[in-house]
Amino acid sequence: MKPDPELPGPFPVGRYAAELREFMRARARVLVLGEVTGFKRSRVSCYFELRDRDGAIPCSIWNSDLDRLGIDELLLRDGAEVVAGGGPDYYPGSATAAPSFSFRATHLRLAGEGDLLAQLARLRATLESEGLFKPQRRLARPLIPKTIGVVTARGSAACADLLAGLERRGWRGTIIWADAPVQDRRAAPAIAEALRGLAALPRVEVAVVCRGGGSLFDLWAFCDEGLCRTVALLRLPVISAVGHESDHTLLDDVAALACSTPTHAAGEVVGVSIPDAGRELATAAALASNSGRSSVGRRGRRLIELAGVPARSVRAERSRMHQTLREVRASGLRGVRERRSLTGRHGLVMTRRITAERQRGVPARGELLAGLELALRAHEPERTLQRGYALVEDPRGEPIASAAAARRNANLTIRFADDAVKVRTEPDD
Amino acid sequence: MLSRFEPNRMTENAEQQTYESATARLEEIITRLDSGEAELRETLALCVEAKQLIEFCKLELEAVSGALTELRLDELVSELEGRAETG
Repeated sequence: MKPDPELPGPFPVGRYAAELREFMRARARVLVLGEVTGFKRSRVSCYFELRDRDGAIPCSIWNSDLDRLGIDELLLRDGAEVVAGGGPDYYPGSATAAPSFSFRATHLRLAGEGDLLAQLARLRATLESEGLFKPQRRLARPLIPKTIGVVTARGSAACADLLAGLERRGWRGTIIWADAPVQDRRAAPAIAEALRGLAALPRVEVAVVCRGGGSLFDLWAFCDEGLCRTVALLRLPVISAVGHESDHTLLDDVAALACSTPTHAAGEVVGVSIPDAGRELATAAALASNSGRSSVGRRGRRLIELAGVPARSVRAERSRMHQTLREVRASGLRGVRERRSLTGRHGLVMTRRITAERQRGVPARGELLAGLELALRAHEPERTLQRGYALVEDPRGEPIASAAAARRNANLTIRFADDAVKVRTEPDD
Repeated sequence: MLSRFEPNRMTENAEQQTYESATARLEEIITRLDSGEAELRETLALCVEAKQLIEFCKLELEAVSGALTELRLDELVSELEGRAETG
């Protein structure tokens, strides 16, 4: 057997239970706020649980205390928000009764709006500090969704308002209805589940949570922390359309958009009137077509203008060249006249110079000619004949320069310096 | 913004195209064409893109201009679950 740990005791359990009760009863008395569940009356006490999403405690109240408070027991149904005043207590049990712990209330009242508002303020501060108001607002919402998810109570007035609003927009796409209770303690988890279901369908582009107006108690499900945390982290944009203009739930804070009424939501979910959009599109199409045509046409005209530029330029150039040609011709004629005049003057000067030169050169050239005549004369045949030589000629007077040529002619002439003698040749033997 | 206009910028991201992005782009194109600053090749490209955008918007409007279809989430979920079981 293992030895006991180093602890006080052992004490008789009845004594310990009695001391535990005293310890509990010595705790501070407080007010707690929560939702009533399982209210029941017994012979001496009423029992119920008070709970919220974070936890619960068993509560009890003496029948005499409850009767003194004058609360209608029917109001203490499941889901009723109450404020209970009291403190922890412990019943040690008896030989026949089981021990139990409870929050022994001596005061009980239905929670007022102020209590809920205070709780709402705390929740709002918590969620905001965690940055949960922003994620939904960052999600892109289509201007004209083709499929819309709607979470609401089936057949509610809010449903009809939403449909009427969509009809006014001329919108006839697809609606996926996700039915959920919108007012009691089951509402918040059911709405969260419905939204998760819609978000799981890729075709759903936006979801609307829809409910008519009511008191803060009626709309309390839409302030549920669990629902709001779910919505904040969904990738599907959620539009809150809960209550009337004066109602402001926590869902409004975390949703992508808060609308005052379902009718308002319809106008936001489908951002434009579909027939108007059709007309605007037709106008835009015409504008685009006209702008394009006009832009191209403008360029075409410019092109034509540009095409005319070379022709004009050529004409201008031709004209300029003609003018230049005329100027060149005129200038040329002037030049020719001037040059002719100048040449005439040069010719006159040259003529005069030549004449003068000729006059100066005549005697010298006469002497030269006499010399040349003497040289030429020295080579004349007559001069050779005078020196005793003779010239043999044929009958035509052509000189015979060889014996062979002489043999071919029977009649020859021998020319001497003083005269010529005709001779006949004899053939060789 | 429009000084370096990129033709077909939106059609490259066709998967992300929405009605509002398409109409916004269409307005840009009209403004650009009206400015007369676009060169001829860009003008022609913009006209083609505008035509595609108009066609896209037209289809988007047609998708929500027929008859209203109403479905129920619980029925869709049951159907999907049934398919999953049989599949």
